[in-house]
Amino acid sequence: MPKMRGVITIAQESRFQLTDADGVSHLFVLSPHMLAENDDLEPLQQSQAPVQVTYSRARNVIGYLAERLERI
Amino acid sequence: MNILHMHPRAAEHHQSNLDRLIPDESELTAGVKIEAGRSYGFFTDTTVCIGCKACEVACKEWNNLPADNLGMTGQSFDNTGALSANTWRHVAFVEKSGAGGIRDGVEQPFQSGWLMMSDVCKHCHHAPCMEACPTGALFKTEFDTVVVQQDICNGCGYCVPACPFGVVEVSKLDGKAHKCTLCYDRLKGGLEPACAKSCPTDSIQFGELSDLQERAARRVEDLHARGVPSAYLYGTPGAPGATGGMSHLNAFFLLTDRPEVYNLPSAPTRPSRRVAPSLFSGLATVAGLTLAAAFLFAESERRP
Amino acid sequence: MTASYTVLERGPVDPPDRPDSAAERDMPRPAGTDAVWRGPTYYGRQALKPAPFEANVVGGYVFLAGLSGASALIATVADLSMGRRAEALVRRGRYTAMLAPTLGSALLAYDLHTPERFYNMFRVAKGTSPMSIGTWILMSFSGAASLCAAAQFAADRGVGPARGIARAASLPAALAGAGLATYTAALFAATSTPLWAAAPRALAVRFGSSAIASGAAALWLGERDGGLTRRLETLAAAALAVDLTADAVSALIYRRTGVAPALSGPAGMVEKVLATGLGAALPLGLYAASRLAGHRPTRGQGALAALAVLAGGALLRISMIKAGETSARRPDISFRFMQPDNLPEADPARDRPTIGRG
Repeated sequence: MPKMRGVITIAQESRFQLTDADGVSHLFVLSPHMLAENDDLEPLQQSQAPVQVTYSRARNVIGYLAERLERI
Repeated sequence: MNILHMHPRAAEHHQSNLDRLIPDESELTAGVKIEAGRSYGFFTDTTVCIGCKACEVACKEWNNLPADNLGMTGQSFDNTGALSANTWRHVAFVEKSGAGGIRDGVEQPFQSGWLMMSDVCKHCHHAPCMEACPTGALFKTEFDTVVVQQDICNGCGYCVPACPFGVVEVSKLDGKAHKCTLCYDRLKGGLEPACAKSCPTDSIQFGELSDLQERAARRVEDLHARGVPSAYLYGTPGAPGATGGMSHLNAFFLLTDRPEVYNLPSAPTRPSRRVAPSLFSGLATVAGLTLAAAFLFAESERRP
Repeated sequence: MTASYTVLERGPVDPPDRPDSAAERDMPRPAGTDAVWRGPTYYGRQALKPAPFEANVVGGYVFLAGLSGASALIATVADLSMGRRAEALVRRGRYTAMLAPTLGSALLAYDLHTPERFYNMFRVAKGTSPMSIGTWILMSFSGAASLCAAAQFAADRGVGPARGIARAASLPAALAGAGLATYTAALFAATSTPLWAAAPRALAVRFGSSAIASGAAALWLGERDGGLTRRLETLAAAALAVDLTADAVSALIYRRTGVAPALSGPAGMVEKVLATGLGAALPLGLYAASRLAGHRPTRGQGALAALAVLAGGALLRISMIKAGETSARRPDISFRFMQPDNLPEADPARDRPTIGRG
């Protein structure tokens, strides 16, 4: 599965925006099978900690499905 | 007609570059202070909607909702289609004349034959989705709005058929139910919901429910006096949309044509009213047949 | 720096049909006694969202819930009135009751869109939500029926007090079983899906009676005792007669409230021909004919009837779920159904004239 690194700039419910090193933002939705939950996103957004997202592509939507989220 | 004056507090914030959030900003933008324990809602006045879709964009931006269903529908300027898990404001476009090559000889006295309406979750007083939710994920907030708690929803999908307006949807992406939260996070921060704040014509008005209902009633009277006899409210107590035990809708509308034209039902009902009749009819049937079974089996016992 | 997004599939997933002409859409015609809505719709788009249930999975559960509840109920009644004479029947009934707690629960969890969180169902108990009511009915039924089946298993292997425990546990199992066999009708009726909401009482009578018929038919299949098979046949026939009556009543209500067109598609054909015709009318006819002729149906005929009842019970639920989806998708059905004349008698909005015709 593809991976992407960046900083969480927006966290809303189970959706978040990841801004990569080039300053480009990408929208992610937490997969239903993920361990991370909404409450985990907000601290990551506030601390602006660099994270790595393992994701898969979603159908008919401009956004990705986050399968794994880890601090780096 | 009310003439709006600048709020006295606006003078305190003369710079566009702010170092912090303006406390109770909604007072400046919507003229209402947001306090827990009161009822808030939307009054959507469709007669002043210009179909700019600023509300749709503001909603998607603030709530970080993904764009979906890219492409044209071929249905007037409505390329959004419907409210869904990823779309919480939807502007409906109805061409009363000129569509399909047929042009009416007479134009409507208002909006020149165009109807536009920004549809949204109605935040029903007796919300069927909330009453149906078996996990308690859907709840009434301190602002009298209805919100899905994403960390509790298990995607059973029972709120979807419960909604009489076709608002809630379970996202195939993350397997949870989603709908408008009436910007719950913004309300907690003293901010007016994103769609209402972005509306350039004040078609979407945010405020305290009793205040909005008064304002809306005055607007209907005003429109009637100005020669729009078809104007009426949808979702206020006793009006269409608030039928069948629905009491009232916290997000209500001013319409000028039948509700169905805007894809709204005339007389929705509160589904939970059907629980008891159905449950007891079923139990009575089973009880009757069990009694029959008892007679049958007892009869065989008497035989040698 | 530009970001390129590739969207896996462009365009709406399900492009809806456009109305044939603007005139058709814009000219409101009054809704009279006509079954179908002839007023405006919004580009023929659906006004409601259909339940995201998988018809076969949820329909399968609803069938198993009815079968298990009815089996527990019939076994308890047989045990109380006949005791040892119906021992084999009671044993089979108690084991059959385990279908809902095991396979049924698995089907339910499978249909969740986030099955990892199935346990959140146990956070609350709500009287307004038949799904919550059903969760607790299924829980109590599972507990009582499992204890009953386990005690039965032990008693059959000579554990002394187990027989008493089985009998004691069978009473709460039967009570919960009655709820399990019927709450599913309330689950569908307490929605805004027109076909399900149109006839809450008739639907519940159908589900309840067809559950009893399924239970009697399933227990018949294993029964060898002539007296007992005759009684199970009579019970199944009585339940099927109630089912067919409720079907006739609901057909009238569906026509009056305007949801009948939802049953005109393939799902409706399954409901009419397979579930009602082959699953209820045929076995009832078979039982009645053999009774009139004065002889018992042969083992083969009886098995055919029992299997038809079971298949019909399952197909009734699956086809009603599918036809319900159709009724939610079609705006002509949902708008017709949600007109003031379909409001409850006491509602003040019922007799109000149609509004907003500018």
